Amino acid sequence: MNLPINRVLAFTYRNYAFAKRNLFPFLEMIFWPAIGLVSIGLMGDFLSLEDKMRSFLLIGAIYSGVLQVTQLDVSYSLLYDVWSKSIKQTFLAPISQYDYIIGAWLFGIVRGTVVFVLLGIFSWLSFGFKLPSIDIVAISLAGILLYALILGMFVCFWVLLYGQRIDIIAWTLSILSMLVCGIYYPVTYLPKFFVWMAQLLPLTYFLEYFRLGYGFPLTFRYPLIKGFGLTLIYVFILFYMLGRAFYKSRKSGMMLRLSE
Amino acid sequence: MEYIIKTKSLSKTYTSGFWGRNKTLALQDITLSIQQGELFGVLGPNGAGKTTLLNIFSSQLIPDSGEVWILDKNVTRKFDNAVKNKINMISGNPNFPWSLTVEENLNFYAMLYNLNRTERKKIISECIDMFELNKFARTRYDNLSTGTKQKLALAKSLINSPELLLLDEPTIGLDPDISQKIRKMIKRFQEERKISIVLTTHYMLEAEELCDRIAFIKDGKILALGTSTELREITKTNTLEEAFIELTNK
Repeated sequence: MNLPINRVLAFTYRNYAFAKRNLFPFLEMIFWPAIGLVSIGLMGDFLSLEDKMRSFLLIGAIYSGVLQVTQLDVSYSLLYDVWSKSIKQTFLAPISQYDYIIGAWLFGIVRGTVVFVLLGIFSWLSFGFKLPSIDIVAISLAGILLYALILGMFVCFWVLLYGQRIDIIAWTLSILSMLVCGIYYPVTYLPKFFVWMAQLLPLTYFLEYFRLGYGFPLTFRYPLIKGFGLTLIYVFILFYMLGRAFYKSRKSGMMLRLSE
Repeated sequence: MEYIIKTKSLSKTYTSGFWGRNKTLALQDITLSIQQGELFGVLGPNGAGKTTLLNIFSSQLIPDSGEVWILDKNVTRKFDNAVKNKINMISGNPNFPWSLTVEENLNFYAMLYNLNRTERKKIISECIDMFELNKFARTRYDNLSTGTKQKLALAKSLINSPELLLLDEPTIGLDPDISQKIRKMIKRFQEERKISIVLTTHYMLEAEELCDRIAFIKDGKILALGTSTELREITKTNTLEEAFIELTNK
């Protein structure tokens, strides 16, 4: 059986080639996450926060960096083609939504994990931050990387339907969802409607689970079942939606307009 | 007779504006058959529907009505991957990922056709040699001249050893000497590799020099179809250009 492994890896390879030759992927990985982390850490010092509280905030800063970088890589699977106006050439080949999404996500996993390790080391050296047990770290990091996959797929879906004018959501969507999922505060501090919304987003549960490792009480029960369960449902739905969006963009001519 | 492409009553209308109120008819009732190994030309002015037709053949566009068969498979709405594997396309003013080098671009597209490392190495080296791209192999795409970009596009179009090649105005905007070189390469593909080629152009001489048969197309309709000699005979003219003017003025 001829598995489409090379088709998947083509997108990993392209994201890598772009990343090694351009400054912005480097800034995304190091500069912006480090700025966020230092600001939060220093604010913690200024407010004389106890270690537990400081950890709560630093977790938010670290995961925000991981999420943003990984979801951008998934979004880049289409955006690089849109910006280069080469989408027509790419989709001429016998590829499916699974190939470009998974291929780009693989590179996102590498970049996201590097961000996690770098920020973890930096916050330990600068602010005395310590990670909880390895199983909690691994499970919640896997959850965040999966949530980034969902966000990236969502961006790709809208780009296929509405083209380049909508590419700004690649940078806004993760920030908005972090706001709703309680990146720097428990979600119970949000207005009721947003608490309800937060329960629909897997990130809420993965953040809760990670903070459990520092002794913070759970707001919602069974965070891992809910987090991974919702992820599975969203990934399944989004792959279907991407297939439909691809068909629609071929029908409407959007696929061609994106190449002009 | 074996056909590589057959169409029946193809029509396509583009919609734009608020709620799709503006409609542009791009193709009307196109029925044609293209034989295997043929170099078939689609000739017409800008906006005639040539590119729309090629985009339907390349899976980028779905027609509103009618049917398309490529390599004996009905691909009107859903393109089989086995068919896609045997097709490639280039257009004038091609676009590729801008910060990838010539070699990286070819490697990326070869991977999309699921070629393994050994196969990729072999075909990329062949393509680079064939199109004299050796000294540009490590040059970024955005630093290439227009002519070299077009050579890369041609190299990319052979990366999957296609049976059907769709060329959308491949010499548009190129200097005459480069255009001539590219025309020779196209003719060579067809003869040496037995590839079926559909070529759109609005250069009459190019069509005359390259194509076995030509379809004149205007306002989305086929005005006439035949060999260059047949088209001149039908219209009782001396050149393809005169034949086209004669047909469009009817």
